Amino acid sequence: MRKWSVLSSSLLTVLALLMASTPVAAAAPAAQTAADPKTLVVGASFDIKSLDPARGFEQIGGMVHKATYNTLVTLDDNDISQIVPDLAQSWDVSPDARTFTFHLRQGVKFHTSDNTMTSADVKWSLERAIAIKGNPSFLLEGITSVETPDPATVVVHKSEADPAFIAKGSFSVFAVLDSKTVQAHGGTNAADANTTDTAETWLNQNSAGTGPFVMTRYVPDSEVDVQKFAGYWKGDAAFDRVIYRNIPTAATQKLTLQAGDIDIATEISPDSVADLQADPGITLAQGQGADIFFLLMNQNPALTNGAMSNPQVQLAVRYALDYEGINALVGGPAATPATILPLGFLGAYGTDRAFKRDLALAAELLIAAGFPNGFSVDLQYPTNFSRSGVSFDLVAQKIQADLAEANINVTLKPGEINTELANYRAGTEGFGFWLWGPDYFDSNDYLAFLPEGIVGKRANWTNGNSDATIQSLRDQINVETDTAARAALWQQAQDYLMLQGPFAVIVQPGVYIATRGRIGNYVYNPAWRVNPYVLSKS
Amino acid sequence: MQAIVAQRLLLMLPLMVGMTLIAFVVSHSVPADPVAAHLGQRAMEDKTIVAAFRQQWGLDKPLPEQYLTYLANLARGNMGTSIRTHMPVGEDLARYLPASAELAIVATLVGVFLGVPFGVLSAVRRNHPIDHLLRGISLLGVSSPVFWLGLIALYVFYFRLGWLPGPGRLDVGMPEPQRITGMFTVDSLVTGNWPTFIASIRHLLLPGLVLASVYLGLVTRMTRSSMLEVLSADYVRTARGKGLAQRVVIYRHALGNALIPTITVLGLAFGDILAGTVLTETIFSWPGIGRYAYQSAVTLDFPAIMGVSLLIAGVFITVNLATDLAYVLLDPRLRQATR
Repeated sequence: MRKWSVLSSSLLTVLALLMASTPVAAAAPAAQTAADPKTLVVGASFDIKSLDPARGFEQIGGMVHKATYNTLVTLDDNDISQIVPDLAQSWDVSPDARTFTFHLRQGVKFHTSDNTMTSADVKWSLERAIAIKGNPSFLLEGITSVETPDPATVVVHKSEADPAFIAKGSFSVFAVLDSKTVQAHGGTNAADANTTDTAETWLNQNSAGTGPFVMTRYVPDSEVDVQKFAGYWKGDAAFDRVIYRNIPTAATQKLTLQAGDIDIATEISPDSVADLQADPGITLAQGQGADIFFLLMNQNPALTNGAMSNPQVQLAVRYALDYEGINALVGGPAATPATILPLGFLGAYGTDRAFKRDLALAAELLIAAGFPNGFSVDLQYPTNFSRSGVSFDLVAQKIQADLAEANINVTLKPGEINTELANYRAGTEGFGFWLWGPDYFDSNDYLAFLPEGIVGKRANWTNGNSDATIQSLRDQINVETDTAARAALWQQAQDYLMLQGPFAVIVQPGVYIATRGRIGNYVYNPAWRVNPYVLSKS
Repeated sequence: MQAIVAQRLLLMLPLMVGMTLIAFVVSHSVPADPVAAHLGQRAMEDKTIVAAFRQQWGLDKPLPEQYLTYLANLARGNMGTSIRTHMPVGEDLARYLPASAELAIVATLVGVFLGVPFGVLSAVRRNHPIDHLLRGISLLGVSSPVFWLGLIALYVFYFRLGWLPGPGRLDVGMPEPQRITGMFTVDSLVTGNWPTFIASIRHLLLPGLVLASVYLGLVTRMTRSSMLEVLSADYVRTARGKGLAQRVVIYRHALGNALIPTITVLGLAFGDILAGTVLTETIFSWPGIGRYAYQSAVTLDFPAIMGVSLLIAGVFITVNLATDLAYVLLDPRLRQATR
């Protein structure tokens, strides 16, 4: 009897604690916050390193910056290939694509003061971002000077032609900051800003922009709060407050959304889709992600005994993969692009032009390449690493199985991400499995895959071992300023890449975003995922 | 007793310095470059950005110089700045450690106040249905993966029943209490901030109990096996032969000795819990030291790795000292020896 009393008293204590907390649940502020039609709660897996626009280059940071800052230009919410005005009402590009003139809006107020945005603020913000040499500073590479002929005009000069410069201008490193306020908090545009600028701490807790919301709080790994900016130049936002809540796992985000504690879940795994579709209180939006996953077949014959550098073997690999099976494995709206240019980008072919599996043709190509009995090769990739819902370990096994049917015996050689990344960057992987996410939303980012490009060099694809056709296309694309002409050039490049070149594109995963039914006007945009200014809540 | 404490405290300094050397050498031996972990693909190709990155974080200096600079800064109380969070490591630790400490304390309290009685009861009623039930519960706790248990607990108690709140340390949008210890429950209690106190307690229960499940199973099993051994000892038989009540025999004579191995487990497990709560913290969006340590390790954030290593080493040394002192209190032979 006495032993029972020990047990029962312990259990009763726990139960009492649980029960005592139950009545409080009815008055929980969490439920009140999410139920408030003037408050938007967004669930996100935080990757924020810095909320200083000159330093941060992470996805969730970009999402927050979309609410708090404006850039000179931005992307259309519905179509990332369309660049639309933001703080610049219009712009002119010189015929040589080296001089860019932006005509600014007037009377735009900053969050933190009564200061009005002028060309001096644009110049100071750009010069500060260049001098800080932070993660996103490469987007400003080649800027030789920024001129301000009058308070409403900014002229940016570049050392080389850059037709993608306007598209780059939509990233938050181009955010226009209140130069006076930021300087008062330690900001500088001096050449040594890398070591002397001390404004980051302040910018991690405050915003000094012109966006529809003002940042009020950032709790690392927990929450970012922003509040409506009453003087926003486009008119007040519908929400008084937006809360970005860190919820690292997709499963927890789903539960929290269904429980009504958040309005939007930005991480939804494909296996949750059926359950969410069956929930009448949830609306699912789907879109095409911008990451592409690809196989790298090194042009250096010494790395794979001449196998993967052989153009016919490279084509055989492209024909040997079971793309439908891979898409099914990845799940959701995953698709197969025709080449390294992702679906939705300027000039990109649609899925109708993508490769389809043809094992007989793959076998013929291997015979023609001098490998009638196939060959063995190691596949290197990062292990225990997933992105956009794609597990490298899982898809690598599928690649191994697919290629085995074409008589290519693949040995999986996974490595820890940072170690394997070093091999990939050094160009020592004979056969690798990697991904590429866009650095900016313009097709020219994918020049990286052509000879002498960043990824091209990792596959040892150089001017020395590539032909004049692709080099000429690359050079023309690099300077072409006419959009239609650039799209046509990219299509020629894709025609080439489907037949030749050291890459086989495997999959472009899709993305699901789930919202509570009371959220209106949501459209998926891969650049920022959530733009609270355009949303409504009933 | 004082001699033991003084000796351990003196040993702490060389141990900590040794720890910094091991952590530095091991973390810098990884064949990977922190540049790749922190800069984007394009930025990595820009020599100016890479050079600025290395200069900013002191990675352009020779390794011995980096280590000596670290030690010199540490001696002044500066643990460096995290490459990942861009915050002073000391501030990061002061933010993340209390969050994990709250979880660890709940798990320990549940482990002790439920696990020990469970173990005693299980041993006393050996092979009785209650023994089978308690052994089953402890086996379930030890063998259930924490991430699975966490998701099930969230589904049942948060989503289905609505008894407890969802992930996070506080409700959505709720301001943090005035910072004193960093433990929200303590700070809100001390400042009389009752809504935050209630919210922090409620948010703590679910992850705390999930984490405690492993601990509870461990303590129950350890206490049971020690009790079984002690209950068959001669002195217990003698006590029974003298006609002492069963309660007196168990709680006054047997339990004290049976608790010594349990205390060893408790001490080690407390350190483990503090440092190894990555999965629980991830499922419950709990910004604790476990996730901080994990993310620092995978991004080769050297200052943070060093800071966490030092902290965890300090915790283990302190806990081991506390464990040794508990031995002295429980074991009369050790008490005698230390006089």
